Amino acid sequence: MIIAVSGKGGTGKTMVSANLVKLLSKTGKDVLAIDADPDSNLPDALGVNVNKTVGDVREELKKDTSLGKIPPGTNKWDILDYKIMESITEKKEFDLLVMGRPEGSGCYCAVNNMLRKIIETIATNYDFIIIDTEAGLEHLSRRTTQNVDIMLIVTDPTHRGILTAQRIGELASELEIQFKKLYLILNRVKKVHEDNLKEKISQIDLDMAGIIYEDPAVTEFDLKGEPLINLPESSVSVSSTKKIVDKVLNLEKN
Amino acid sequence: MFEDIPVDVSPMNEGERIRSANMFVELAGPKSIGAELVQVEESVEDGKIEVIGPELNEMKQGEIFPFGIKIQIQGENLEKELEGVIERRTHELCNYVHGFMHLNQRDQIWCRVSTEAIESDFKLEHLGKALSILFKEEFTLIESIAVTLFTEEDQVKSFLNLAKEQYIQRDARSRELSDEDVDVFYGCLMCQSFAPTHMCVVTPDRTALCGAINWFDCRAASKMDPDGPIFEMEKGEVLDSEKGEYSNVNETIAEKSQGTTERVYVHGVFDYPHTSCGCFEAVAFYIPELDGIGVVDREFRGETPLGIPFSSMAGQCSGGKQVEGFTGLSLEYMRSPKFLQADGAYGRIIWMPNEMKQSLQEFIPEELWDKIPTEEDATSIQDIEQYLIDHQHPIVDRFLKPEDEIEEDGTQVEGEETKHEEPSNITVTTAPEISMPASGGVKIIFKNAKIYAEKVIIKRK
Repeated sequence: MIIAVSGKGGTGKTMVSANLVKLLSKTGKDVLAIDADPDSNLPDALGVNVNKTVGDVREELKKDTSLGKIPPGTNKWDILDYKIMESITEKKEFDLLVMGRPEGSGCYCAVNNMLRKIIETIATNYDFIIIDTEAGLEHLSRRTTQNVDIMLIVTDPTHRGILTAQRIGELASELEIQFKKLYLILNRVKKVHEDNLKEKISQIDLDMAGIIYEDPAVTEFDLKGEPLINLPESSVSVSSTKKIVDKVLNLEKN
Repeated sequence: MFEDIPVDVSPMNEGERIRSANMFVELAGPKSIGAELVQVEESVEDGKIEVIGPELNEMKQGEIFPFGIKIQIQGENLEKELEGVIERRTHELCNYVHGFMHLNQRDQIWCRVSTEAIESDFKLEHLGKALSILFKEEFTLIESIAVTLFTEEDQVKSFLNLAKEQYIQRDARSRELSDEDVDVFYGCLMCQSFAPTHMCVVTPDRTALCGAINWFDCRAASKMDPDGPIFEMEKGEVLDSEKGEYSNVNETIAEKSQGTTERVYVHGVFDYPHTSCGCFEAVAFYIPELDGIGVVDREFRGETPLGIPFSSMAGQCSGGKQVEGFTGLSLEYMRSPKFLQADGAYGRIIWMPNEMKQSLQEFIPEELWDKIPTEEDATSIQDIEQYLIDHQHPIVDRFLKPEDEIEEDGTQVEGEETKHEEPSNITVTTAPEISMPASGGVKIIFKNAKIYAEKVIIKRK
């Protein structure tokens, strides 16, 4: 199952992604986290050091090609395949693939086309794939042709945040890839505002997956630079995310 | 057939990746060494499987071992030339074995065995067995086959050395593979999303113009992704081997370009040059004043002898248009023995950026090396002309031909009489069809043309 988490910067989508990775890997299933947002810091949130990104691999291959360094009898699919596998950071609980920087100048059609296929193949080996993607979604549509099962749009409880979420929802329907189900997650909600916000959400065309209440532990972790994946299960954000996971996955079963 | 093998063996298992969390051991890969090699031999003990070094049941969870796969084959009609093709299947066939992951090829292989496979008592011996059956099934030419698997470090090292020698010999042969040696070329439509009438023709002597894929890559791609944008096409009848024109390539390009392009010369810039998507690494452009060809690559930021930079030129000849006198190409193509052979190859090249020239040192004929100017020597037509004359570039014979011939094709350039006007404002012309007189017996027709000119040159004949 492919779950994409989207939202504009600062809404807490990376926190939601990290929590999802944490909760889903506890099920003993194979989990792949994909950082598809060049501006995000999913590796930090997961407490992982990344040596190489897909972007690095892409540049390496391009360089070797134009220098004529690739032996004629070999083919680039296999070389890319190997390099991408090498770029995956493997943990006991989950694996992480980081897309990294966007393309430089020149033609990337061929290499991107190969990458799409390779990443698709890799993805079939996992039970859950969590993609942390930027709000624009272009990255996602360039990287995969696979349909996304669930798209979670994260927003903070501001008026602008909710408008952005709505726009992401609209954008999603215009892409080549299909999102089977779209949900909204309201993050950093203060209990006193809850009813008011729910009222607001009911007026836009997005189903709500749940609410994550404001969590002082997240602020504290962020201040210390501690990976969010280490948040205790009892923390507000993890327990709220758990409810969302339960809700969304149960809904999917029906 | 595979009853002795405790895990499933089938094409269904292709694409299997083993996460380190589910892995028992790793063989070869980035943290160790390894290789695979297929060798055609005169006598092979059929069905022999040998494991040299520790078997899987002698390894511990999480360990990494060097790994070698040696496959010896024999058959009356088996030739050494087939070794590479057969060896390429090792990756695919290893992956038929459930619980065994195999990536890449040659001395860059990376394998893993899953814990699940170990629980069913899977051994390397079984891998060998599966390979010997699968290879014989895939290639009926194989009469006997023996598989040796190495996991002992020194053995792998010496096997690796042997394999590397073979790869070098094989690459030398691959470099020699030319358009005449094959019956099929490949078409690539990857760029049709933005150049809907463009098709790249990929031949052993001409890589796709983005430089990213060669004939071997296409062969792999059309297999790996049969519904993808890269497909096989028969060459058909050879219409002109020098220019690189083939009947079925013409037919295919007509079909795939929705009739926009009906003929293509794979190895020339005149008449029917290969169309360009916009992805090319470099552009070859005709310089009519000197009847020669210049080449400029994407990295070069300065002005070309045509008075415009790469980017403007790229705009003029991209988008799948067939523009006579221009063709997009890859840097690799400039290393090809057939590089613009229809037009006179390097003997017709009269300008290129210095960096490009330096990177092609081995490929530019020695006798021409000093005769081709770069931006460091000359950029204007007059300066280039002087340089060519001073350095006795063979092109000089062309533009200093006897009078009557010059008049015939009208390429005469008279230094003093030629006036190069200063750049005017950008002029845009839009027309359904424009015909232009040009030199060298060519005519240039622009269809649905939009012409952006940064410089207009008016010449007195």
